[in-house]
Amino acid sequence: MADHVFGGLHCSDVEDLAASFVLGALEPEEAAAVRTHLAACPEAHPEMAELGSVVPALFESVDPVAPPAALKGRILAAAAADTQRATESQRATETQRAPDVPRATEAQRERVPAARGDRAPGGSFTHLFRRPVWAGVAMAAVIAAVAIGVGYAGLRQQVDDLTAYRDAVAAVLADASKPGASLVNLGAGGAGAGPGGFAAVGQDASVKLVMHDLTPTSGAQVYEAWLIDGKNPPVPIGGFAVGSTGTASFATTSASAKPGVTVALTLEAGPGATTPTMPIIASGAALSQS
Amino acid sequence: MSEPGIGARSGPRPEIDRTDRETMERLASGDLGSLERLYDQYGAMSFSIAYRITGDRASAEDVVQEAFLGAWRNAARYADARGSVKTWLLSIVHHRAIDAVRRRRPTAELPESEGAMPAPLVLPDAWTEISASLDRETVRVALDTLSAVQREAIELAYFGGLTQTEIAERTGVPLGTVKGRMRLGLDALRAAMLAMGVDRG
Repeated sequence: MADHVFGGLHCSDVEDLAASFVLGALEPEEAAAVRTHLAACPEAHPEMAELGSVVPALFESVDPVAPPAALKGRILAAAAADTQRATESQRATETQRAPDVPRATEAQRERVPAARGDRAPGGSFTHLFRRPVWAGVAMAAVIAAVAIGVGYAGLRQQVDDLTAYRDAVAAVLADASKPGASLVNLGAGGAGAGPGGFAAVGQDASVKLVMHDLTPTSGAQVYEAWLIDGKNPPVPIGGFAVGSTGTASFATTSASAKPGVTVALTLEAGPGATTPTMPIIASGAALSQS
Repeated sequence: MSEPGIGARSGPRPEIDRTDRETMERLASGDLGSLERLYDQYGAMSFSIAYRITGDRASAEDVVQEAFLGAWRNAARYADARGSVKTWLLSIVHHRAIDAVRRRRPTAELPESEGAMPAPLVLPDAWTEISASLDRETVRVALDTLSAVQREAIELAYFGGLTQTEIAERTGVPLGTVKGRMRLGLDALRAAMLAMGVDRG
């Protein structure tokens, strides 16, 4: 290839630095010089793509380490709070640019009345979520519930459904923030869309559960909730039917409700099942929030 | 080593591309459900990478949370030409984790300001990836073809966050040797994966 000099580097220099560059092992100014060269250079520098293409494969070599179950809920809650923040800045921008244009976010705001009163003036909520602290973050619970409700219920859902679901999520998150309580993130365990939800397992043996994206039940069918503690047989704690909204909430008490227990959901032909019918629709472990 | 194709723009993977693009569109529109699905798919792998780099769970949690929030905020900037959502997301995790460990070193320069998106793979369309079709076992077998010092140099850079100069100091060999080990190691990795038939299908 012809030799060019861009960013203070010859083509041969760039080739020499290619492996270090794609592995991120250059000093910041060296990496910037390589980028400058590549952006300007008419040569294709195929070595960059050749070496760079194998780098993502290194991710596959990492030993799996399970994240804490509570991390997912924290991320979703932080993102939910961030939605509010992004909405604020977006609105500010749009107001400057085109004050008369109706904003898409208005509809959403109308739909979630609680968001208005609970928003701190001009503030950001994200700092609240930097640490795994649910206790005392009632505002966060409401915000998370609002946004999760919006996300899952879909824009065509009735406001009443949304409000009920939001209140149920808020109740679960509030319970989970009590002393000695645990939060459960219930997931389907697979890729793609599927049912999910939250449960709170209280120190007082209470279990409060809220679910979204469940297939509606028909006839005598019920979703049965189970508590699974180690190798002991699953303990049924009650069932509920699900309507067209796909959402449901459920509260009960059980002697088996304690930190570490797994909460699981199955679909049963009728109430009163004593052993779970596979598959498990969603499940998660109760992890202490304190 | 210049088999045609590997260095060029990836051929179509219609199913993956379509699913990824839809995921990112939903994410960009503020659909929290798509963020949850993204976490269900890649959260564990993200945490594993963050833990591998930072070495402690609290930092790894922070990194993963920041990375997913970064993806949430910047979904609209994702371009499918840059590769799969998986690589895009894991690159954000990698970038933030490296930042975190470099921040701990008092003498280290920080490459970019907070909020900047990761740049390791941000280059024109010539960039491609073959990793999307890889499984763990293939990569492990391929990595076994590297010499111990090649692998060490690559891992100190990619998972240790060390610069080539720091690796030379750490391992007590000349800088040119470090560069050579990384280059030959990546070449070997690529050759091994090609030999095992890893290619865009």
